Amino acid sequence: MNFGPFIFLAAFFGLACSWFGMVLTPQIQIGRLQQTNTVPAGAVYPVARPGLARQGLSVYRANGCAYCHSQQVSQSGTVCDLVLTDVGTNETALLVALRKIRPAFSEAEDRELMVGLPKTVRQGIPKEEAEAEAKLIGATGAKASSWIIPVGPDIARGWGIRRTVAEDFLFDYPVMPGSQRVGPDLANVGVRRPDMNWQLQHLYAPRIEVKDSPMPPYRFLFEKHRIEHGPSSVALALPPALAPEPGYEILPKPEAVALATYLTSLRANEPLFVSPVSVAEPKTPATNNPANSSVGAEATNAPSSK
Amino acid sequence: MISDAKQPQQVQAQPERGSGKAPVPIWLFILLFLLLYWGMVYFDLRGGWFDPRVYAPYHTFAQVETWQPVSGAAGLFSQGKAVYNKPTCVACHQADGNGVPNLNPPLVGSEWVNEPEPGRVIRIALNGLTGPITVKNQPFNGNMVPWKDTLTDDEIAAVLTYIRQNREWGNHAPEVTPERVKAVREKLKSRSTPFTPDELKQIPASD
Repeated sequence: MNFGPFIFLAAFFGLACSWFGMVLTPQIQIGRLQQTNTVPAGAVYPVARPGLARQGLSVYRANGCAYCHSQQVSQSGTVCDLVLTDVGTNETALLVALRKIRPAFSEAEDRELMVGLPKTVRQGIPKEEAEAEAKLIGATGAKASSWIIPVGPDIARGWGIRRTVAEDFLFDYPVMPGSQRVGPDLANVGVRRPDMNWQLQHLYAPRIEVKDSPMPPYRFLFEKHRIEHGPSSVALALPPALAPEPGYEILPKPEAVALATYLTSLRANEPLFVSPVSVAEPKTPATNNPANSSVGAEATNAPSSK
Repeated sequence: MISDAKQPQQVQAQPERGSGKAPVPIWLFILLFLLLYWGMVYFDLRGGWFDPRVYAPYHTFAQVETWQPVSGAAGLFSQGKAVYNKPTCVACHQADGNGVPNLNPPLVGSEWVNEPEPGRVIRIALNGLTGPITVKNQPFNGNMVPWKDTLTDDEIAAVLTYIRQNREWGNHAPEVTPERVKAVREKLKSRSTPFTPDELKQIPASD
């Protein structure tokens, strides 16, 4: 019996199904994705990466960084924080309202809350509860708002403040979402480690910066130079054990600079319509200076919690 | 001589024992049907219907909308939805914003709604509109009631933000702030009559 047509049809059907599911449907869904606006600030997001960072994406790809690093933060849920933003004039009424909202706390603790606003009154509560309590506080003349806080294991690790969405990759080709996590997620590494020098040193010798890092050193992205007319400003400041012999210095090749620029440009943390999150106004513009970045904690932008 | 032994012996083949015909148990069909039904319900509730704006942990677009922050433009948007369906605008322009053909103009994709500057649309909402108007190449000739005595500046700003930024309708115009509405209301203090479209066209939109 001739099974030819039957086998052909079965194979065709199987391939057509996967083509529909894996090519056509995503194309219809996000094939025409465009720049969007951040919510509520309304800034355009995302903006194209600088040219050097785009070159860095090729270096990232060529060196297989995506085999050990993902760029996708997951999110398992969303909760609300009740944040006091303004004390108003009637302090007594506010204290009564606070007593009702959080009976477990003492009055002294409630008074402490009124200094150095905004401050979190309650953390991780459902949205309806937060809004009802915000109204209760609003009735006293004070102001409180419910902040939207995404939660999940990745966010708890400090890898981001919200989940990764398709918009984050809009200007990347090819996208490097990665699938394995031998190393940390890099979706927001530019927020955690905004310092180019840190990135370069880490590429040259990961264990200088991160103790017991399993990451291989990428020394072929650097070269040893003889110091001719005084040391270069971009030379790596290495500990004595790794420093070259006197009279020489280690300089990054253009690939290393591009890769470090790409890594510092990875900042997928804007609040978007598709992934809402409340972000505090930065108190000082210098929140991203390298001195703060040495701490592993992500700038979660959450107000000091109580 | 040819021996008979070379002749293949004819062996009577035993008839193969068939498996018979057992009926497929009815409970299997019921189980499969129930599983299919459960799967469909699960998909309906959590799948987001392939909407590219719905990511986990949200299951539906409505959920994404309710989780928007309640301050700033997005706050205006969700307030505006409430104002729109109070009912105010919804009575004529319908819940889907498409209006009624030949009677009430659509807001979806309307060039009057989607102007970059909200000056004219604020005036329409405050004082109402009368006379023949063309929206999306369709002629309309009706009257829109004024809302200046019914709605506050905040409410008008919210509802205009809602119709101008409604992504489901495909509108993408900038938000309307309550301050802007207040400024226009001041300018229209002495006026009580509705605008006509020709009159509106002479007013600069940024006014």
